[in-house]
Amino acid sequence: MHIIVVYDTAAERNPKILRTCRRYLHHVQRSVFEGQLSPAQFTRFQRDVKDLIDDEYDHVIAYTLPPGAVPQRVTWGQERDAPSDIL
Amino acid sequence: MPTAARTYWLTSSCRIRRKDQSLLIEREHGDDVHIPITDVRDVIACKPIDVNTAVVSLLNQHSINVHMLSYYGDYAGSLAAADNATSGETVIAQVQLATDPEARTRIARDIVHATAFNVRRVIDRDLLAAPYKTLTASIKNATSSDELMGAEGTFRRSAWEVLDTKLPDWLQMHGRSRRPPRNAGNAFISYVNGIVYARVLTAVRLTPLYSGVAFLHSTMERQRHSLVLDLAEMFKPLFAERLLLRMASRNQLKEHHFDTDSNQAMLSDTGRKIVVAAVRDELAATVTHRELNRKVAYDELLYLEALRLTRTCLEGESYKPFRIWW
Repeated sequence: MHIIVVYDTAAERNPKILRTCRRYLHHVQRSVFEGQLSPAQFTRFQRDVKDLIDDEYDHVIAYTLPPGAVPQRVTWGQERDAPSDIL
Repeated sequence: MPTAARTYWLTSSCRIRRKDQSLLIEREHGDDVHIPITDVRDVIACKPIDVNTAVVSLLNQHSINVHMLSYYGDYAGSLAAADNATSGETVIAQVQLATDPEARTRIARDIVHATAFNVRRVIDRDLLAAPYKTLTASIKNATSSDELMGAEGTFRRSAWEVLDTKLPDWLQMHGRSRRPPRNAGNAFISYVNGIVYARVLTAVRLTPLYSGVAFLHSTMERQRHSLVLDLAEMFKPLFAERLLLRMASRNQLKEHHFDTDSNQAMLSDTGRKIVVAAVRDELAATVTHRELNRKVAYDELLYLEALRLTRTCLEGESYKPFRIWW
């Protein structure tokens, strides 16, 4: 399924969250990640993130789309890192 | 094929590094790219790459194969993840089938037949009707792989000739040549065949089959994965010949996409990117599967084919090699 993750965490935890997200998803903007995960991978990802964050302060949102659905993506300005599979 | 993951194609030379338990691609020209490790199914490197132990162990943990293509686009080798799918029971069944002369010849014959069928289907049904008939007759009584391969060679030669008539002058093949390919047409075919071989290897490694024991090709052949050579055979026309004809007729291939010397040719950097993109899109193309009753990507056909062979080994179900049915 397609997943978009945005996070708002304390500065000292940002790098850790960033590294965890990098393992599963493509970095599209400073605190925005996007990509395809299987349900099992998503569960694992959730667990990893929950272990890291401070429930009292941090906030992470994951938008998930049903399997097969692909969001229409329109962008303006400088695209930082368009995920492509041909490098 | 299982899991939501993609094949990554490296079309420029680069170094793969391990960063944050994931992959970082450092390209010679262009920015560094982070790739989430869970998004990688396999990697096909079309240009030289550098890796180190840290990367290999990470790839191994996630069972990711890296396939490398040589300078001329032939298959050069793989960094294969430790093999944990192969099962003894299946391998024994596979070896029994491969050492039984009758069973082995039957499978080999079916593979040759299906390949010729696909070639004919892709290139020209009418013009290849006669050679196809000859092939069908001559393999009926063939008892050895050599005879079968000989018959296939004869058929292939007629097929290359017919293919030439449908190509612009500069893309014509004038017979198949490899290492190095002699002209642009051959360079293209070599390149795509290399990719097909690499993808089939990934598919076979998902099944319990052992890639070294084959039915048509000699089991010792050039230390390659002979079973993969067998299975790739039927799929080569679906990708190589078909894409060559299509890209030529749409004028997508230009002379400057090839670096041509007097007696050898290879894809240039831009040409390689175009071809890789075309193959990638083709692998994702879907077709309705009659038995599964759902849409199946061409890519998945490779995997289904390997599964079918597994079933032949284990359950004695007769093997019907892949034929283009649409």
